[in-house]
Amino acid sequence: MENTKTLAKLDVGQSGTIGAINAPKEIKRRLMDMGFTRGIKVSVVKRAPMGDPIEVSLRGYHLCLRNEQAENLVLR
Amino acid sequence: MKTLALIGNPNCGKTTLFNQLTGTTAHVGNWPGVTVEEKDGLWRGHKVVDLPGIYSLSPYSPEEKLSRRFILDQKPDIVVDVIDATNLERSLYLTSQLSELARPMILVLNMQDLLEKEGIKLDEKQLSQMFGTPVVSISASKGIGLDGFTKVAEKLLADPHAPSCPIFAPPVETCITRLIEDDYLHTIPVGYPPRWCAIKLLERDELFRTHMPPVPERLHKVLDRERTELEKVFNDDIEAIIIDQRYHVAERVSKACQIKLKSEDRFTLDTILTNRILAIPLFILIMAGVFFLSIGIVGGATVPLFEKGILVLRQSLTTWFAQLGVLPFLSHMLVDGIIAGCGSVLSFVPQLIVLFALLSILEDCGYMARIAFIMDRMMRDLGLSGKSIIPLVIGTGCSVPAIMSSRTIEHPKMRRLTIAVTPFIPCSAKLPIFSLMITYFFNNAWYMAPLMYFTGILAIMLTGILAQALDTHKENNAFIMELPRYQVPTLKNTAIQTWDRTKGFLLKAGTTILLASVVIWLLQTYSFSFMEVEAEKSMLSQIGKFIAPIFKPLGFGKWQLSVALLTGIAAKESIVSTLSVTMQGQPFSLLLTPASALSYMLFILLASPCIASLSAMASELEDRKLFFLTILWQTGLAYIVSLVVYTIAKGVF
Repeated sequence: MENTKTLAKLDVGQSGTIGAINAPKEIKRRLMDMGFTRGIKVSVVKRAPMGDPIEVSLRGYHLCLRNEQAENLVLR
Repeated sequence: MKTLALIGNPNCGKTTLFNQLTGTTAHVGNWPGVTVEEKDGLWRGHKVVDLPGIYSLSPYSPEEKLSRRFILDQKPDIVVDVIDATNLERSLYLTSQLSELARPMILVLNMQDLLEKEGIKLDEKQLSQMFGTPVVSISASKGIGLDGFTKVAEKLLADPHAPSCPIFAPPVETCITRLIEDDYLHTIPVGYPPRWCAIKLLERDELFRTHMPPVPERLHKVLDRERTELEKVFNDDIEAIIIDQRYHVAERVSKACQIKLKSEDRFTLDTILTNRILAIPLFILIMAGVFFLSIGIVGGATVPLFEKGILVLRQSLTTWFAQLGVLPFLSHMLVDGIIAGCGSVLSFVPQLIVLFALLSILEDCGYMARIAFIMDRMMRDLGLSGKSIIPLVIGTGCSVPAIMSSRTIEHPKMRRLTIAVTPFIPCSAKLPIFSLMITYFFNNAWYMAPLMYFTGILAIMLTGILAQALDTHKENNAFIMELPRYQVPTLKNTAIQTWDRTKGFLLKAGTTILLASVVIWLLQTYSFSFMEVEAEKSMLSQIGKFIAPIFKPLGFGKWQLSVALLTGIAAKESIVSTLSVTMQGQPFSLLLTPASALSYMLFILLASPCIASLSAMASELEDRKLFFLTILWQTGLAYIVSLVVYTIAKGVF
């Protein structure tokens, strides 16, 4: 798992395409409801002053999530 | 009377539209068994219900369950799907789910003004065709397009029809069609649309375990087979497949309806406000500004004015009542009890109005979400959320609005912990006691006041860490939050929100405080045999002498000090006045030493707050047991800290 590319590993300004969501059922549902579905492009807009949480942009809007959840989002 | 239900994503402008439609008739109400707040009001003789903002109709949060149940069980005549037009794709994801509930629906494209600024045009006709619903463009905050809404709504009420459901990929559609034909689907209650039921059956929705006729074993087998087949085709779990299909529909519709005229990089305030280096200093600066403007400038100017006004009122009323020959008992109770007690609380209203207005502006413009974003990491270790920082800052003024502002924290556990720790931040009413003690016993040492704040913060940290350690049901506290676009707040909305909160405060002052003032006055004026006596022999002093031994180990066993603590329950400001009255000019050194003064200050800082905060805590915690546990913890901690500090300080001073 160490080498899996996840959303959490992206630098600010980089973007990636969601490949899979490895999260507990409820959080996976939550993330998908917010628009994190397979094949969707997500870019990292900013990190909070202490490096966590991160702000991302997808489907034309912005949201923030903790690194812990960003680790669940595996990129293609 | 018909019912219209407003539904949509959080922050899409539902409440703005609701206020536009219902005017001043809006009032807050609760639905049975659900603690999530929702409002209803009147519009042209019809009932309008403002449902909580949701992203999805999956039954994972109380809000989602409530909205779904409302539409299915209450069967509103029209579902008004409010859509943030600048965020079409994600909004249509919810629309695709709503359309399956088969209630007559209107799509309201809100934020038309922002859309034009972003250079986007939406094809209403196309959208209307794709969902089979009327579509109307409005700008709720500017009040544009409301006539169009009225026209469309009246027409749909006269000729109601269900929207058309979005079509999924062929394998999913085939599967749904097969399920709809199943005999079981004919046994479900009328009003539950078969297509929606088929999809929910596939998704293993809890509805079929709780609210529906039992699913036959035969159908379970069919469902298992269908699921396995679909999961093989799409290489994902069934829930994900359905969500994916819905988003495909949203993408398709949004692509067909959205015409981008021009696209340019907008400068956003976030370049500065959530800047890695500037974010936290700016946050402190902004909060200090809010604080300084409301409590410092407005409070500083109005509180003395009110105090003078109340004094004049009391004097003239006393003379007037004497001339009229009013019973002294009634006259005293009104003047020395009610007016003195309620007056001291009402004198805070002007600064609260300013505070509420500034906070509503911060909420409206979108900065609150940014505060949560930048502070989340720090608060997380304490079991709190980024949003907890807001009540803590407001608490330096008064715990009552602070506790009320914790409503913006969605997670119940975090919200309750925030409410429980907010009173540890010394409010402005505790400052007079501290300054009295610091002047008298500590020679105005500069570090004493900051030390009190620091102790309060330490108590919050201790509570947070302890609550974390004792929490046996650790939840996966995902922090997923939309960062909305910045908006210029409208005067109308700010006014409505400010008045709403001020009204709540006034109501509490008129009930709890009124009662407490009368009780304290009665106890202070009468002896146990109901004779009018001096304060020395009153019930209050008797009670004081009775409690005093409890505080002896802490260094303040004199009855005057205990009574002052008691009157402090009504309002912390009265501790100083009670002490002055009971001492009648004798020096405070007869009561306290520097060591016991420090212990007294710490006890007042940490022990359970005044009655107004207590009642705010009780109503916001919504849990009697938790409420008493919180008071016990606050008072218990105060006792232990004072005991330890007094024991040590006795040796030092």
